[in-house]
Amino acid sequence: MKVSELMTSHVESITPSTNLRGAARKMKEMGVGALPVVEDGKVLGIITDRDLACFAIAMGHDLNSAPVSKIMTTQVVTCTPDQDIAAAAKLMASSHIRRLLVLNGDASLAGFFSVDDLVRGSHELAGAVLEAATPVH
Amino acid sequence: MKVQDLMKSAVETIAPMESTKEAARKMHDLHIGSLPVVDNGQLVGIITDRDICVRVTATGRDAISTRVKEVMGNAVKTCYADIEIEAAAKLMIDHHVRRLVVLDRNEAISGFLSVDDLAKTSHELASQVLEATIPIH
Repeated sequence: MKVSELMTSHVESITPSTNLRGAARKMKEMGVGALPVVEDGKVLGIITDRDLACFAIAMGHDLNSAPVSKIMTTQVVTCTPDQDIAAAAKLMASSHIRRLLVLNGDASLAGFFSVDDLVRGSHELAGAVLEAATPVH
Repeated sequence: MKVQDLMKSAVETIAPMESTKEAARKMHDLHIGSLPVVDNGQLVGIITDRDICVRVTATGRDAISTRVKEVMGNAVKTCYADIEIEAAAKLMIDHHVRRLVVLDRNEAISGFLSVDDLAKTSHELASQVLEATIPIH
């Protein structure tokens, strides 16, 4: 089974200059827990609701002025739509994460592939990803 | 296998009158995504990083003056430590949650069980919980 068969394709993104409050509002409105940070069609990083809640507030960032570029994760782990889900699962597990950004051949954003997408294809693979993931509790 | 064999025993909690900034700091320092809220020894709710993202960061409320009780979810689900993990998984599935606060038979908090913990012993059970709970990408 390929990533393209299970992934979430219509993902919203935000720009690196979006402030933390704006990013949180977008996540709230869309009911999502992560957003890719994109500029000029290029994926620069990823930000999660956890980053916006714990990291931003614990570090005392000004939510109205600090840009997401300040707290986003830039080391993003990616896969392609035509990759096998087993390979994608292995990537998640070895990086101890629960979601991958899916990029097209031209490096443009194709979507997200998370453990919640993976579980619909394989309980075994999804369980293995959870087991390896950095505990969030 | 019983819940007490798998759960995390050292549970951090927070009081309802604490600030959400304190909650965020605690979650950040301990690398966790949720805190049971305890008032005079009584479990009254649970606050998650998502609650903080959606109800503090997104709304522009001040994290220092906003109290945990204004933002927490009241519907925290619990289970007893001596039940089988299959029964705990069923509770998660039936209530559409990925975490349970674990109580001993005197109703005192004795641990915390999340779907990540389940994955350590059963990929199948963990995946069933994932499928039954609302996915946030």
